[in-house]
Formats: sequence, C-alpha cells, structure tokens
Amino acid sequence: MNTVLLINGLVGGIVFGAIYALIGCSLNVLCGVLRIINFAHGEFVIAGTFFAYVLLTALGIHPLLGLPVCAVTFFIAGYALYFVLIPRLARSDEPETSSFLLMFGVSLMLVAVMLWIFEADIRPVNFSFDPINVTLMTIPDAYGEGRHGRVVVPTARIVALAVNAVIIIGLTWFLYRTLPGKAMRAAIMNRDAVQVVGINVQRLSAAAFGLAAALAGVTGTLLALVVPSVDPNGGADITLIGFIVIVLGGLGHPVGALAAGILFGLVEQLATVLMPQAAAQMVGFMILVAVIFFRPQGLFGRAALR
Amino acid sequence: MSVAPAKAAPTVLGVRGLVKRFGGLVAVDRVDLDVTQGTVVGLIGINGAGKTTLMNCINGIYRADAGSVHVHGTDATHMTPHGIAHLGVGRTFQVPRSFNRMTLIDNLMVPVLDSSRSDDELFEQAAACLAQVDLYELRHNHAEELSGGQQKLLELARLMMFDPSIILLDEPFAGVNPSLCRLMIAQVERLREAGKSFLLVSHDLTSIYRLSDRIYVLNQGEVIAQGGVDDVKSDPRVIEAYLGN
Repeated sequence: MNTVLLINGLVGGIVFGAIYALIGCSLNVLCGVLRIINFAHGEFVIAGTFFAYVLLTALGIHPLLGLPVCAVTFFIAGYALYFVLIPRLARSDEPETSSFLLMFGVSLMLVAVMLWIFEADIRPVNFSFDPINVTLMTIPDAYGEGRHGRVVVPTARIVALAVNAVIIIGLTWFLYRTLPGKAMRAAIMNRDAVQVVGINVQRLSAAAFGLAAALAGVTGTLLALVVPSVDPNGGADITLIGFIVIVLGGLGHPVGALAAGILFGLVEQLATVLMPQAAAQMVGFMILVAVIFFRPQGLFGRAALR
Repeated sequence: MSVAPAKAAPTVLGVRGLVKRFGGLVAVDRVDLDVTQGTVVGLIGINGAGKTTLMNCINGIYRADAGSVHVHGTDATHMTPHGIAHLGVGRTFQVPRSFNRMTLIDNLMVPVLDSSRSDDELFEQAAACLAQVDLYELRHNHAEELSGGQQKLLELARLMMFDPSIILLDEPFAGVNPSLCRLMIAQVERLREAGKSFLLVSHDLTSIYRLSDRIYVLNQGEVIAQGGVDDVKSDPRVIEAYLGN
C-alpha cells in the first residue's frame, strides 16, 4: 500500500469530513427544532458557493473575506424565509410530510433560479493563496530506490479546514454555553415544555432556520475553497450526504452529526484511495444501510431519543 | 367601632363555558372554573374525565372550541402557550418533560432566555431553586439520570425560575415515592404561602383533599360538583361517578 496516498486520503477525509459535519449539524438543528426535513439544504449550500463566486468575480472580494458577509446575509434570508414558508405547515394535518414536499419544491425552485441566473455551466472560482500548496510531510524512500514521497495539500484546503474547525467550535460553544443555544437544544428535546416556560418557539424556530441557512452559506463558501468550482445542479448530492450524516450521527444530536461527518468523509476518501472508484462510492451508503439495520438511533444517538 | 369587611382574594384564573371537541367527542363540556389568588384548586375525576384536556386548553396547548380563559383579567383564550406563560401561568406535565440530555442547572436556564440578569445571578437562582427541591447535589447530572419523581420536582424547580403566579400541576404525585411526595406537598404549601395559586390535577385523593381549598369534579368533560373538600366528599354525584351505583 502506498503510504503517501493513504495519508493524502486521510487528510482529504478530514477536510471533506469537516464540511460534511457542518452540513449534517445544520440539518440536524433544523430537523430537531422545527421537525422539518429540509430537502433544499444542498441548494442553500450551492447558493453559498455562488455567493462567494459573485463576490469574487464582481467585487474582487476573496471568498475567505466574504465569509462573514455570507453568514449574515444567509441568516437574514433564512430568518425571513421561515416566516414565509414554515408557520403555514403547522396548520397541515401532517406537517412532516408537508415539509418534505414543500422543501423539495423549494429545492427545485432554487435550482431553477440558479440555472436562470448562472446557466448550467460549471464555473471556476478563481481565487489564490500564496503558496498554492503546502508540503505536510516527506516520507523517505516512499517509492523505493531512494525516491522520497511528499504529502502535499493545497493551502486553500488547509485554510478551509481551519475555518471549519473554528466554526464547529463556535457552534458547539453556542449550542452548549449560551442561553439561546441551550433553548434550541431544549426545543429539540421537547418543544411543548419549551413553550410552557415562556419561550417564543416561533422566534426560536426562525433563529434555527436562519442559523441553518447561515451555516449552509458558509459551507458553500468553504466548499468553494476545497473544490474551486460551482455547479447549480450539485445540491441534491450535498443534501443526500447531509441526510447520511444525520442518520449516522443520530437525529436531533448536533454533536453526533459533527463526528459522523468526519467519519463519513474519512471512509469516503480512504475508499477512493484503496478501492476502484465505482466500488468506493458504495462504501458510504453501505455504512448507512448497516447503521439503519443495526443501530437505527445512529452511532451517537440513544434509542430513547427517537 | 366598625370592622371593615375582609377583602375577597381576586380571581387570577377564570374559565367560562369552555368547550373542547375532538371530532364527535366532547372532551371538555361548558366548564366554568375559578382560581383565586393564594389558593389551591383541586381538579379530580376518573380517567378520561377531561382534566388534562382542560389544562391543555387553559395553557394554550389546545385551542378551545368555545368559551373563554381569563388570566389576571386578560383574555388568554386564543393566546399561544408562551404568551400565556408570560401572563404568569406555568405548568407541569403528567409525564415529566425534562430536557433529558441537559444538566439540571441547564434545564433551569432555559426559561430565562430573555433575562437581562447576569449569568452568575441566574446560576445562583437556579442553584437555589434546585436546593428547594433537594436536587442541588445532582445539579451537574443529566436530567435523564433522575427518577420519575425527581423529574417532577425538577419541572417544579424549572417553573420557579420564571416565577409564575399561577401553577398548573398535572398529576404531580403519580408514581412518586412517599418521601418525594411529601417534599412535593411541602413545596406546594410553601409556594401557596408565598401567594402563588394552583390548579392541581391528581388521582391521589388523600393529597388533593389535604392541599385543596376548593375542588372541582369533572365527569365526561362536565363539572358535576364543586365546593369545599367535605362538600365534594359527601356529594352523591361524585360518589356515583367514582364508585358507580
């Protein structure tokens, strides 16, 4: 086995896994607080990538500098969108099924809007870091006959990982150390009990929707750093990965989603290194099916939570 | 010398003609009920009599089909649960609804989300509330580690954090061991002394007779009797509802 490839796979797994973790965590907050299945989450992420693309091409703002603007803009848009879309669902006989259909419609609509504005071309996000690559380590005699191997990672990916780690730490701090974060976790655990102690669940839900949208936008920008191109049709794959991550981590368990995202990223990238490409794509889904069969509450959830 | 007549305690919770239907079933049928300040009003009835449904209508979890609920004179009939909580109504549930994966202290911090007080002050208050119900030592444990009875006490402590003037207790003694039951009764008595008003639903007639100043008896959604403890105990309609003919 080639050690250089293996370490590259591990590094790639952590970089992609951190992005999956963020996707899973924001979906999990939404599912938990609002009881809605956000089928449009992937499109929000792609919209975030386009946001970074527009800032860069139209205004010359580097994606990294545009990150706070993106977070605030998406939070406001998500907060407002909540009041347009979600309260009506409460009047439905089956809010969860209705939310699934509604958000699927929103997903199709967002794809159509992005195709209308940006057309179907995959567009490059042309930013640069200096240096372009960083050599993480040199492995002596990795290829035999005295040829050294180098583990080289694009600087953009290291930056994306670092920013991602800061966001995950910030998100965990918010959920576990601040009063609004505790209220959101409490709403995940018991929505009725939160209401009867005087918490405005509508406002809290709107904030959760805004937070999930902000995280999606930020994830999109970070995705632009890791894969510097954007495809308007790429949202469905991201949503699918998000759902895999929350099933693995446990529904209503934001920190479980963080761990599950990293795990899924590692498995996906290592499978790509170690297996034929077609077979590698199966591995993540095989884990999903195995978890559903043998541990339906998720790797980090508990049976009582379901 | 003339003696001024004793001033009657104000009605803090008034229910008039309340109706709640589920399809063809009338779960609450034209119920009138009053809770005056600083009193404990008991609500009894056999299973399915409509006690919890009435409580759910009072605190806004269910929307009443007819009738009204007034809290401190404000019409709360169509208000949301959090709006009614802001009028000063707190409640506990038959099956405790603790935030299981949070510590006891964190459980008590949820109601004070909008508080302008400092974190230190809030933690101090939460610790004091937990001490009142003998849970202070467990403050850093998760709620899911508590027994059912302790979880009911935790719900009561959580209510104390936002200091409601009217407290609705749904089956606070069900499945609770005698020592915790005594603690719960002591807390109700202490809070009543402090001027809080209670609507207490319970199957534990001994406790409810001991605590209540006035009792309402529900049967098939209707109030079939009301009055002092002795009046209700000897009311033939109540005896018939509980024991049959």
